[in-house]
Amino acid sequence: MNNLTSLQRKLLYLGGIVLLLIPITWLGLPAEPAHGAGNQGSPGGYLAQKRAEYGLGESDLGNVDPASSTMNLLLLGFRGIATNLLWMDAVEQQRNKDWASLRATTESIILLQPHFLKVWQFQGWNLAYNVSAEWDGVADRYYWVKEGIKFFKKGQGRNKMYGELLWYTGDTTGKKIGRSDEQKQFRRYFRSDPDVARFNGGPDPDVNPNSRDNYLEAGEWFQRANDTIETYGIEQHIMAPYLFRAYPARSQFDYAAALQREGNFGEVTQNAWSEGFQQWTTKYGKMPFECELLGRRIHLEVSGDEMRDMVAREVAQNLPDGKRESFWVNRYQDTTNYRYWRTRSLVETEKLMAEAHRELYEGQQALFRADDATARQRYTDGMLKFEKILNEYPDLKVEDEMIEEAILAQIGWRQCLELVDEEVPEQYPLKEFWDAHPMRHGTVKQEFDRQRRGAR
Amino acid sequence: MSLSFDPVAFNLAEGLKHWGTVMLVVAIVAFFTALVTSLLASGLAGPWQLFVHLGGGFQDLAGTSLRRCLALSQLTFREALRRKTLWVFAVFAVLFLFAGWFLSDVTADADLQVKNYVSFVLRTISWLILPVALLLSCWGLPEDIKARSLHTVVTKPVRRHEIVIGRVLGFAAIGGLVLGIMSAVGYVWINRQLPESMRSQLTARVPVYGDIRFVDNEGQDKDAQGNILIEGINTGDENMFRSFVEGNTKSRAIWEFSNVDPARLEGGGRLVLESSFQAFRTYKGNIEKQLLCQFTLVNSTKKLKVPLKAFEVREFRRNVYDVAAENPSLQDTDGKTVELAELLAGGKLQVETACLSSAQFLGMARPDLFVRLPDRPFAVGYFKSIANIGLMMLMVVVLGVMSGCFLKGPVATMLTLFIVIVGRMAHGFLDTLVTGKVQYHNPHVQFQGAGPIDALYRILTHMTPGVALEDKPLFRVINWLDNQALTVLWAIRSMFPDFTAYDTTEYTANAFDVPWAEAMLPNLAMAAGYCLPWIIVGYFSLRLRELESK
Repeated sequence: MNNLTSLQRKLLYLGGIVLLLIPITWLGLPAEPAHGAGNQGSPGGYLAQKRAEYGLGESDLGNVDPASSTMNLLLLGFRGIATNLLWMDAVEQQRNKDWASLRATTESIILLQPHFLKVWQFQGWNLAYNVSAEWDGVADRYYWVKEGIKFFKKGQGRNKMYGELLWYTGDTTGKKIGRSDEQKQFRRYFRSDPDVARFNGGPDPDVNPNSRDNYLEAGEWFQRANDTIETYGIEQHIMAPYLFRAYPARSQFDYAAALQREGNFGEVTQNAWSEGFQQWTTKYGKMPFECELLGRRIHLEVSGDEMRDMVAREVAQNLPDGKRESFWVNRYQDTTNYRYWRTRSLVETEKLMAEAHRELYEGQQALFRADDATARQRYTDGMLKFEKILNEYPDLKVEDEMIEEAILAQIGWRQCLELVDEEVPEQYPLKEFWDAHPMRHGTVKQEFDRQRRGAR
Repeated sequence: MSLSFDPVAFNLAEGLKHWGTVMLVVAIVAFFTALVTSLLASGLAGPWQLFVHLGGGFQDLAGTSLRRCLALSQLTFREALRRKTLWVFAVFAVLFLFAGWFLSDVTADADLQVKNYVSFVLRTISWLILPVALLLSCWGLPEDIKARSLHTVVTKPVRRHEIVIGRVLGFAAIGGLVLGIMSAVGYVWINRQLPESMRSQLTARVPVYGDIRFVDNEGQDKDAQGNILIEGINTGDENMFRSFVEGNTKSRAIWEFSNVDPARLEGGGRLVLESSFQAFRTYKGNIEKQLLCQFTLVNSTKKLKVPLKAFEVREFRRNVYDVAAENPSLQDTDGKTVELAELLAGGKLQVETACLSSAQFLGMARPDLFVRLPDRPFAVGYFKSIANIGLMMLMVVVLGVMSGCFLKGPVATMLTLFIVIVGRMAHGFLDTLVTGKVQYHNPHVQFQGAGPIDALYRILTHMTPGVALEDKPLFRVINWLDNQALTVLWAIRSMFPDFTAYDTTEYTANAFDVPWAEAMLPNLAMAAGYCLPWIIVGYFSLRLRELESK
């Protein structure tokens, strides 16, 4: 066929290999990071440079997990099939209450789908909410809530450019621990883990490294979510940006409200509200949000005078609604309940409001321990103060939380009267709330009974 | 840490009877099929040849030489080594080196963590050893025939069945060697990998299971038809393995233990009851308190009834109840002091289980309460699980060698793989088809309309599988036809061994010993029951095979 000897052929092949290596090296040379001042590193070959330019490398998305990369490489094109099988396993294991296997399967799933945010979101929620609820022991439930939070955190490590998982970490740390039926125990466990053997009476450092309130920890996660979006410019897909960005400040409000629920009405609580007010008005309120229909960015913190000026200016210019900044500011404020929280956090820093809350709380506690004389006195004082402050800030009178607190106080106060067979007088503080919202009496009564059971 | 299935003791005599019947039927069918085929193929000379072969076969079997079998197995062993079988250790080593990546910090809960580690080791060993056994055994004989190296063997004074047995022994020996080394490494790995604090969870609990029945919340232990209640209340859980007793009513679950030997109890006579019940609350109640459960020990022969101190049920955990520690003195319902020995007289004991929390429910199934005998070392349970993997490997080897006796390598591999896959992954499905019973869930729930014609009728008339067909002539015919179809299906199912039975991971990973009567004995019997006919089929196939034909 040809006249080349075996040696010549081999040399020819070798030459071909060397020739091919040149473009391969030019294309595929990996980038070398800088090491100290002396070594500037190297941008690598053409492919490495393009990968860096468009952020296509896996390390650009987050930490690279060697196990995950190995699995994906080993499975070749069968990743989809393997993932499906694992999901089916996970569903079956959950049905059979095989929690150890379910947890291990979730780990395997995320090895195969490390950058699929919905997987992290679904399984994190599943662990924190669904699996946790299957257990009867409160400490066991808390364990699974922590597993969910840790799962979200792990997901964030793999997907550092996205704010979603940071938000879910904050949401679970705040809402699940602070608002579930087991909130009393969960909030306590958050600062003093029930697994004393492992954590020696302190918190689990994986979920509460700074040993603080769950809402403060949640607030930091929300803030990190906002910062991540700012840094990488990738918007989240959970809710409108102007709602999403409010969460650090909202978490501060939740912290202050939780302190009140637990009977703390002193300086710490007032400072918490004050900090919330600052965050709401000077940080969140000054944040610019894109308003596409207006064609520019607006912020929500607009005082009454500024608003009047703005409206006057726009009326003079004869602008239609859709082109008025005042229209959009109002609309965004309504959606975020901005004015309510601004007023509420301001009011809550006032001494009279703190006293009103304290009196009402003490009245309820006295009623629950059957000290009806003290209860009645506290309720009456608290209701008077509450009415006074609401009259000073009438905007708050239409807000749900205020209405419910007013009705809740009256339910307790009315029970005090019933205990001594006394009729409800014609006129009494906060009467307007009772008369204006008869449909709410039932649900607030349920809440009252729930609190009574919780106090036992 | 409880079982999700009901371990039932194997009845060897029944099993042997069943096996003998099936073998007899198969042998008769095979004989007559061969007779007819030979008649059609070779005329009247055909049956004569058949008898000659059969006679020769039995003569061969009678003259089996263990020495020749061992010599052939030695040959097979060496050949397997030459085929780089031991490379499987490289895969094994890589998996274990990097297992920490996949398993560490999956969960910090000791019970769950131990389960993960033990499951990982046993599953890895199982999944690595099977392909090795399958490929070796399926390709051994066909390759020898193809290379004509078998000629050097068959021309020696060896019988063909000795070649089959020698192959099986050789492949089993190499598989056993690999399995032995892997299991030893796995055992050391589990012990080293688990933190010190969790090693106490590595044990092999020895349970004595009883039979369970229920009493409803009105105190009735029979249903309207007079049948004993074998289920409690259904609270709507999708998984119906457990049923529930209602709190603060007459509802009870009653376990009857018939083999409690006081001499075998913990500390020479301490009765330890271990339970893992599920809690179902109809209202939250005091969430910091768990549901209350109470055992009552009953000796019906002596009319003794001793209520024990109640305890809080820790759901999904091991609830260990040491009767003597919790109840310094046992008193019957009349306040009379009772000795434990009196209660256990005759080895029979009843344990009535009640939920004491009003309007709350406790869920239980038969394996959820047992008398706990002194634990055995973890190694006992672990190596029993390994032995089961070994038995499965042996079956795959026999199956592979048998396939290789009449098929070429790739086809033999596909056939063996098919049988293994069906046996491992679809046996539950086949069982459901044949019996109408839903696996994993309540063993008492049985769907109607398992037969094909019945099912077709139900589809067309939109009838649910929970409703029985009326007693009409048409439906009787349908039933009869369906029964015939199901019998055929049953026969097909029986051709596939249930390989899932050899996965005893759930026992070991849940810190149970692998029981003899419920797991080891049936698995041994199944291995013997399938391997024997497979070897005979392999032998006759090889005897009749034209070795010159590649």
